[in-house]
Amino acid sequence: MSRKGFMPGCSLPSYSPIGIEKTVKYLKSHYPELSGIQKCCGKPTKALGQVDKFEERFGSLLADIKACEVDEMIVACQSCMNVLKDSEEFKTTSLWALMPKLGLPKEVIGKAKNSDVVFSIHDSCSVRGMSDIHDGIRWILNELGYKTMEPEKTRETTRCCGFGGMIVPVNQELAEKVMKRRVSDFPTEHVVTYCAACRQSITLGDGKAWHILDLIWGDVVMKGSEPPEDTLSSPVKAWVNRYKSKGAIKKAING
Amino acid sequence: MKHNDVVNSIAKDIAENCQGAYDAYCQSTCPMHTDAIGYVNLIGEGKGEEALLKIREKLFLPGTLGRICAHPCESECKRNTEYKQPISIAMLKRYATDKFDDPKLWDLTKKTSTGKKVAIIGAGPAGAQASIELAREGHKVTIFEKLNVVGGMMHVGIPEYRLPRNIINHEYTYLEKLGVEIKLGVEIGKDIKFNELTDGYDAVIVANGAHKGNKIPTKGDDATGITTAAEYLREIALTHNSEIAGKSVLVIGGGDVAMDCARSSFRVGASTVNLVSLEKEKDLPASHHEQVGAKEEDVIFNCGYGTTEIISEDGKVTGVKLVECERIFDDSGNFNPSYTEKTLEISCDTIVFATGQIVEDATEGIVKQGRGGRYEKNNDTMETSVKNVFVAGDVAGSNTVIEAMALGRKAGLSVDRYLKGESLIEGRDFVKEGSFKTKLDLPLPEGHKDELRLEGEMLDGKIRKVTFKECDAGLTDDNALKEAQRCFKCECKKCLPECIMLTEYSEYPGDLFAKFLETGNFDPLVAYSCNMCNQCTLVCPEEFDFAKFFGAIRKDMVKANSGNSPLKGHNAINIHQKLGFSKLFTTKNKGGK
Repeated sequence: MSRKGFMPGCSLPSYSPIGIEKTVKYLKSHYPELSGIQKCCGKPTKALGQVDKFEERFGSLLADIKACEVDEMIVACQSCMNVLKDSEEFKTTSLWALMPKLGLPKEVIGKAKNSDVVFSIHDSCSVRGMSDIHDGIRWILNELGYKTMEPEKTRETTRCCGFGGMIVPVNQELAEKVMKRRVSDFPTEHVVTYCAACRQSITLGDGKAWHILDLIWGDVVMKGSEPPEDTLSSPVKAWVNRYKSKGAIKKAING
Repeated sequence: MKHNDVVNSIAKDIAENCQGAYDAYCQSTCPMHTDAIGYVNLIGEGKGEEALLKIREKLFLPGTLGRICAHPCESECKRNTEYKQPISIAMLKRYATDKFDDPKLWDLTKKTSTGKKVAIIGAGPAGAQASIELAREGHKVTIFEKLNVVGGMMHVGIPEYRLPRNIINHEYTYLEKLGVEIKLGVEIGKDIKFNELTDGYDAVIVANGAHKGNKIPTKGDDATGITTAAEYLREIALTHNSEIAGKSVLVIGGGDVAMDCARSSFRVGASTVNLVSLEKEKDLPASHHEQVGAKEEDVIFNCGYGTTEIISEDGKVTGVKLVECERIFDDSGNFNPSYTEKTLEISCDTIVFATGQIVEDATEGIVKQGRGGRYEKNNDTMETSVKNVFVAGDVAGSNTVIEAMALGRKAGLSVDRYLKGESLIEGRDFVKEGSFKTKLDLPLPEGHKDELRLEGEMLDGKIRKVTFKECDAGLTDDNALKEAQRCFKCECKKCLPECIMLTEYSEYPGDLFAKFLETGNFDPLVAYSCNMCNQCTLVCPEEFDFAKFFGAIRKDMVKANSGNSPLKGHNAINIHQKLGFSKLFTTKNKGGK
């Protein structure tokens, strides 16, 4: 059997240590030999055009993957998916495409069937061509029992949340316009994403957004529920969370 | 900064092939390049006054053209080429004008006086347009018009039931407001010598139109009761009467002028009107709506016949002998009709030859004339071989009002340069000074449907055929809105609604990339404002890979800036990355036993 590894990426562990912990435990229940890695894939340097730095940083991640002898990396971040997917040394699988194959834990199936919320689904533009991920997300939401609606621009025609391309630090005004425009696309008030950065963008665009891990592992969302705190907009909270996630991975993997 | 191959090749491809630069089919086909797609869509958005202002950017007589323009724009409309249901562009122009035009909105700005004087012969559409171009440039313009009315053929050729005269007169007041002087009832060569104009003015534009009828020599054509379209329509236009017309009129010709003659005949007392054309009905050159109008008014069509003889009794026309025409053009494409043996005789007491018009010289032989009396000239600049004399309109080869206007504008632009001592050629794009074929090549919009064209409310044929009152009431508010909304919006700015960045930093991508190739500079802020989401590429008919370009040029920018982004804001990413790779925040756990 091939050795599996899991890496959550950067923004997700900065957003939800509890989500990371529960996800690693869930995966480990299916793959007892699971490896866990927390490190950036280097995508930000790639997007900036820093070729040398990207090679150095991606190389550092590859070394970790090699050290763990992983044959198949399970990723929860769409940027990681794109950066890793062409590697010939291991296979890369999206967590969202994998979950339908593994099945959700019994205790979460149908948990939201009485929710009065209708979620609009926001697909990540970086994986607009990967329909197995789109299908997986819809499968998960259906298994949980949530009602959903598709915006007009969805799946392969989805629109950017405004975060992509490293524009936020240099052209915040434009990024905000893109964020608000995407929020205006949604047919319902509640939005579900599968990228923590997308969730942050939608929040900054005055939308109410949840990450799909919030829905899988957290309380059932009802109309009166407030969306989770925007921890990514607070550097201190984000780094504290990242630190906590690191500990959670270590603990869950090593027991 | 030196750029890598990916940057250069993508930029070149986009700069050269982006369809954003190409005009819509309707707009490029219009000889005046009127922004039809623009005003149609403004009407569709309920912005009537803005639509009117857009029309007036190019046309000083939108109410007139809204009624009688040959509207070549509609022939090229994608809804015509695909479904034979073109947008009623001309009628929408009329709607915007009837509803929203107000002299207070007219643009009367002009440059300070140059002290130069220009004489224009003819107050038709060509002379008027030329006068506008020149007056706006600060030149003093005087128009000499032989008739006692303005508008030329629009006033004495096009029937009043299609174009009420108060509309022409009102729209021509624009010229006066602009300071153009119009002298009516002055015939050059008779009242004033041509060389008085060439001597007394800095430049002269000859635009006196083609007002002489053309009669095809036919056996028996010396009988009485025969006239030409130009003479016939002029008399009817000025008097609402025809001395020559009897009860049974036969019109020879198949174009719009023939339709005008046929339809006007009922209005001056004819009870039977026949139309004879060499062309078969499916090949008639007349506009479709004119053919329909004529049939609704009971004109009898005899298509595909040549006239072999005019029959007369006591020197007075009593009928014509016709022979069926098999082919009009020979294998080489030359006009060379061949006939069958099938013949036909039609009785009539009046014959109108609607077979073209000829130019009558207004220059006392000074400017050389060619076929049909058209003056010889430089086709690009409208200059003649005579010093300071230019030509425009039908005397220079136009066949429709809108073409005449385009030639008027062309002559006006040339005269302005001439008066300023500038080159008549340098920097001009002559292709775009008239009708041209756009390079636009777009697929039809997704999910579109074939929808019927909406037209104006017409008076019933039986009622309108005996009155000179306008027979088309135009579009209602509701229909105008619906009709405008049928527009396919054939222009390629498809990426702009998807990409806020491209919208903010360019007119269209081709423009942005052409500037880059020209200057070698690309604003780093623009390069780093791409979200790299590829939404633009998804809708681009050329599938340009913009994100790849931005990714590639960022590499050049980083290389030129010692490994770092040229934008300070990205320093935060560097710090973020250092932390993201530090031991404090990373972990690797092999797991298992």
